[in-house]
Amino acid sequence: MSMTLKRIVVVGNGIAGLTAADSLRAAGFDGDLTIVGDEPHAPYSRPALSKAALLDADDMTSHQLPPSTHEAQEVRGVSASGLDADRKVVHLDDGSGLPYDAVVIATGSRARLLGTGPKTEGNAGRCDGELTLRNLEDALTLRRRLTNRPSVVVIGGGALGMEIASGCLSAGCEVTLVAHDRPLTRQLGPYLSGAFLAAARRHGLKLAPSHAVELRSTGGRTADGRPLVVLADGSTIEAELVVSAVGDAPNVEWLASSGLLTNGRLEVDARGRVRPGIIAAGDVAAFPTKHGIQRVPLWTSAIEQSKAAALALVRGDEAPELDFQPYFWTEQFGLSLKASGFLPLAGAPEFLEGDPAGGPALMRWSHDDGSGTAVAINKRIPIPKLRRLSDTAPLVASPTA
Amino acid sequence: MKIVLDRPRCEGHGLCEDVAPQLMHLDEEGELVLDIETVDNDVEPAKAAVRVCPVAALRLA
Ligand SMILES: Cc1cc2nc3c(=O)[nH]c(=O)nc-3n(C[C@H](O)[C@H](O)[C@H](O)COP(=O)(O)OP(=O)(O)OC[C@H]3O[C@@H](n4cnc5c(N)ncnc54)[C@H](O)[C@@H]3O)c2cc1C
Ligand code: SF4
Repeated sequence: MSMTLKRIVVVGNGIAGLTAADSLRAAGFDGDLTIVGDEPHAPYSRPALSKAALLDADDMTSHQLPPSTHEAQEVRGVSASGLDADRKVVHLDDGSGLPYDAVVIATGSRARLLGTGPKTEGNAGRCDGELTLRNLEDALTLRRRLTNRPSVVVIGGGALGMEIASGCLSAGCEVTLVAHDRPLTRQLGPYLSGAFLAAARRHGLKLAPSHAVELRSTGGRTADGRPLVVLADGSTIEAELVVSAVGDAPNVEWLASSGLLTNGRLEVDARGRVRPGIIAAGDVAAFPTKHGIQRVPLWTSAIEQSKAAALALVRGDEAPELDFQPYFWTEQFGLSLKASGFLPLAGAPEFLEGDPAGGPALMRWSHDDGSGTAVAINKRIPIPKLRRLSDTAPLVASPTA
Repeated sequence: MKIVLDRPRCEGHGLCEDVAPQLMHLDEEGELVLDIETVDNDVEPAKAAVRVCPVAALRLA
């Protein structure tokens, strides 16, 4: 290990920051470790927030993670406001600074807001009545609001929007989903999105196939109006509750004058390095994949990136490059999907188990480059097995698969 | 150190098996089986398994 690494500062206390801290310890780093996070809570599981946590029966423990073992000093409820790469200091918004020998950037992303301004700006101001779902407070607010069974409009046809819609329907609400594409098509491809849409319709989801352009209030600028969703054709939908799920934006603003951003993005190499002594991982980072340098804001992506980057920080080029294996899951409308391999998927699959009529199924799509994507629906299957199925065409699969 | 499974919580994602196949596996029914519970010799993989589970169904005691 490099002798100069005595103090490491981790910025961001989500799963990426937590995993980085664990991995640094596992790689033998025994110096001072400090984790700064602007949330007041211990790290928790975000994926649980749009699944079990939305259901009545849940006792709000599904998001909790086991206590950490990294023995780092945790600074909670404080945000990093800047990074001075020359002096090697992270500045905090309480005016203090944390000197470091190496730093881990794991500030994740936040929900984009539809707000009222032009959509392209990412975050226009939050409109009264627009809820999003990114953190624990959002989940608690949404749960509380759902107990009165309001009419709900969900904006956004991605996995998150669809999970939220599913949760709201289970809570007994009338739910309309506004999405300009066919929901989940961009994420999963036409075949699987068809299966999910059919399930969603069976559960009573109403679809408004349009672009939501603006959020207004029936009360004009007063606070007591109901939210009003304005669609691209000028028509409006009124609802008691509007939840938007229109994508996420990486938390990079605090790095604006750090010199670390490339065209506004935080780009890392195949070992998670921004430059020597500075690594980044999780939703905040754009990393090299088979499909170019991109963010892959998903749970196992955050974990895999953090592990690889932490190891590279301690071991340098001896550490292996990130061998990114996409894994995605979602639960909604009574369907539970697991996918190993790149998404979205073109065309129809080969059925390894089950059939197109529905029910538990195991499917595979082959890609032109010889790789594949394996998908299980309503079927518990070990992920290593799913990965093997995605790697190798079934005909030549090893007998142990 | 022991690894403890909160079975009602486990959703059978198998992410834990993915990182610690020497300690656990999902059986034919998709139920998680802990092959080794006392993990004194495999503390690192055990920690990794506990960490990767998105529903905190595993813990170390
Ligand atoms: C509701 C929901 C459901 C999801 N479901 C799934 C799913 O089913 N499957 C899946 O694979 N993925 C899912 N995801 C995505 C997954 O949760 C994320 O990819 C993962 O949590 C990213 O972890 P992270 O540590 O990179 O970022 P985050 O979890 O965002 O952590 C970053 C932390 O840094 C803090 N922070 C930000 N800026 C600063 C600053 N300047 N100073 C200090 N602290 C700062 C943030 O507040 C946050 O606590 C879901 C996400 C959400 C929101
Ligand atoms: S990762 Fe968690 S939910 Fe998934 S099989 Fe393991 S213990 Fe169960």
